[in-house]
Amino acid sequence: MKKQIAIIAEHHKESVVSATFEAVSFALELSNLTEAKPVIIVLGKSIKEMAENLSKKTGLDVVGIEGGPLEFYNAEQYKFTLKYYLESIDPEYICMTHTAMGLDLAPGLATRLDASCITAVEGIKSQDGKISFLRSMFGGKLRAEIMPKLKKSVITILPGAWKAQELDPMENGHVDIKAAPSSISTSRTITVKEAEEETLNLDDAEVIVAAGRGIGNEENLHLVKDLAKIFNKSAIGASKAVCDLGWLGYKHQIGMTGRTVSPRLYIACGISGSSQHISGMKDSQIVVSINIDPNAAIFNVSHYCIVEDLATFIPVLLEEFRNFVGTT
Amino acid sequence: MKILICVKQVIDSQAPVTIDESGKWVKYGDSSPFRMNRYDEFAIEEALRIKETLNDVSVDAISVGPPRVSSTVRKAMEMGAEKGIHILTEGDFFITPFEVASTIASYVQTNNYALILTGAMSEDDMNSQVGQVIAEILNRPCATLVMHQEIREDKKEVYVEREIEGGKRECLNLQLPAVLTIQSGINIPRYPSLSNVLRARKAQILTIEATAMNIPAKREHLVALSYPEVSSRGTFIEGSQREKAKELVSILHEKSLI
Ligand SMILES: Cc1cc2nc3c(=O)[nH]c(=O)nc-3n(C[C@H](O)[C@H](O)[C@H](O)COP(=O)(O)OP(=O)(O)OC[C@H]3O[C@@H](n4cnc5c(N)ncnc54)[C@H](O)[C@@H]3O)c2cc1C
Ligand SMILES: Nc1ncnc2c1ncn2[C@@H]1O[C@H](COP(=O)(O)O)[C@@H](O)[C@H]1O
Repeated sequence: MKKQIAIIAEHHKESVVSATFEAVSFALELSNLTEAKPVIIVLGKSIKEMAENLSKKTGLDVVGIEGGPLEFYNAEQYKFTLKYYLESIDPEYICMTHTAMGLDLAPGLATRLDASCITAVEGIKSQDGKISFLRSMFGGKLRAEIMPKLKKSVITILPGAWKAQELDPMENGHVDIKAAPSSISTSRTITVKEAEEETLNLDDAEVIVAAGRGIGNEENLHLVKDLAKIFNKSAIGASKAVCDLGWLGYKHQIGMTGRTVSPRLYIACGISGSSQHISGMKDSQIVVSINIDPNAAIFNVSHYCIVEDLATFIPVLLEEFRNFVGTT
Repeated sequence: MKILICVKQVIDSQAPVTIDESGKWVKYGDSSPFRMNRYDEFAIEEALRIKETLNDVSVDAISVGPPRVSSTVRKAMEMGAEKGIHILTEGDFFITPFEVASTIASYVQTNNYALILTGAMSEDDMNSQVGQVIAEILNRPCATLVMHQEIREDKKEVYVEREIEGGKRECLNLQLPAVLTIQSGINIPRYPSLSNVLRARKAQILTIEATAMNIPAKREHLVALSYPEVSSRGTFIEGSQREKAKELVSILHEKSLI
């Protein structure tokens, strides 16, 4: 049988999350290099429609596994079900996105399947018929090339590293719906609580000025707020570090577990540029970053980079704005 | 009920990191600013809070690494961990998350812990793997990115809320023994009290040679490290603070943002 690449789909409320299509792009690139055939696997309580949509959109074969205990994502249920099913197709690679679900599931699944596990992958390298994967380390300051040593690998894909493609397939893939094997679990997911009511209009803001731990203390927040006031439709964003410290509420958090934004201008003040932060702001049209560290990873996604201490630089910048406004 | 916290020593995220001659790891020196992985501070604090709310709870801290990591084990004890365990490895190289997890799991197999806490991620390697793999090896349930936990009174079950995308929370019950990986922001870690610092200074750390532990072979291999491509970087605005500010203002004006 031809080698396979299994893609584990992620969905919330009966709709497939967009990052799953990025995982499909990853699998197609890997398939070109290895000739292994991608197949999508979707687990849930009632997934027929999602499975059919996936096959229509991607042209790939889709296997749906249905059962009541799969209503919500749960690591124990997923590991049990996937081990049971994956044994029959014996894929060379099992991939999923590096989201709260993927990072929860992948390492344990890999251990259970006696597979290598490489997380938050951003690139594939192929040399002399050997495949290795690229990922960030040290907050994005270094890149590591990691090679699996076992025959089977579980890979999580960093959101944003591959683009979801419009595939327009000539024909739909084959859809196969199976019933989940029954299981007893030591872990039970009860529900998913929605986020608290949003009162902050980050979506409509043309300009977001975002504060990171580098602002140093809560008092320095006024620098960021004053900077935001220069612009008409502006809002204040924050890294998770700033929200964790209680300097700003979680509704300001931008990133993987916060909000995803794409303003015309994003000004990152004292933000290091961790992949989880970048995944929430990388589609901003213009990114300006102020950071004291010339090697900060945020500069890799910035259009304009300013290496300065923000505590002294922002006041000068504010003065220059005022001068400018005064002369026009 | 015994709780084990896994703590890792990492280089401070603001320190420069350079690749060593082998191209396979970073150069550390005597003056490298090492500290505890921030996520693990949250894990320690959470364990101490459990100890303060329930009867009969003890908290130990474990770290796997070269001699330098003993200072982080001691820091955990200063914060309030009773026993410190250092699994001593040879050389200062990259250790795969599977090896770390196998090592810790092997220690746990001979010591009974109802709850194992790790950080959500190590700031240097950024795997988000160790806790999940420990759980799998020990055949225990695991929840990652935990932002809230409540141990039921009978100590048979723990209710957790994990942070997922878009500010949502996944709510679940796990049977004990279990493993939780703690997300930053769950609490505000305390500063060590003077009495704890004095106690920790005198306390013995239990040091075990990793080579004596029969750890399974690594499952991944670090081929090489490199610096990210410079081409992906934007324009660096040069000059004095004043000149940079002027230039930025004119750029923003050109783009009709002001
Ligand atoms: C599963 C998961 C989900 C996550 N989700 C998110 C998320 O949604 N959003 C998010 O932001 N993070 C998220 N994180 C956390 C993320 O990994 C980082 O820890 C966080 O983004 C760091 O915030 P920071 O850049 O403000 O702080 P740091 O990384 O501490 O960076 C501070 C920066 O400030 C600079 N600096 C210091 N002093 C000055 C000065 N005087 N002037 C100028 N610059 C200065 C430093 O050089 C440094 O680059 C998540 C983590 C995990 C594990
Ligand atoms: N060498 C280590 N010693 C002890 N605990 C570790 C070690 N490496 C990782 N951990 C724990 O595992 C968590 C996740 O690490 P990682 O899987 O490397 O992202 C960390 O926050 C620590 O709690």
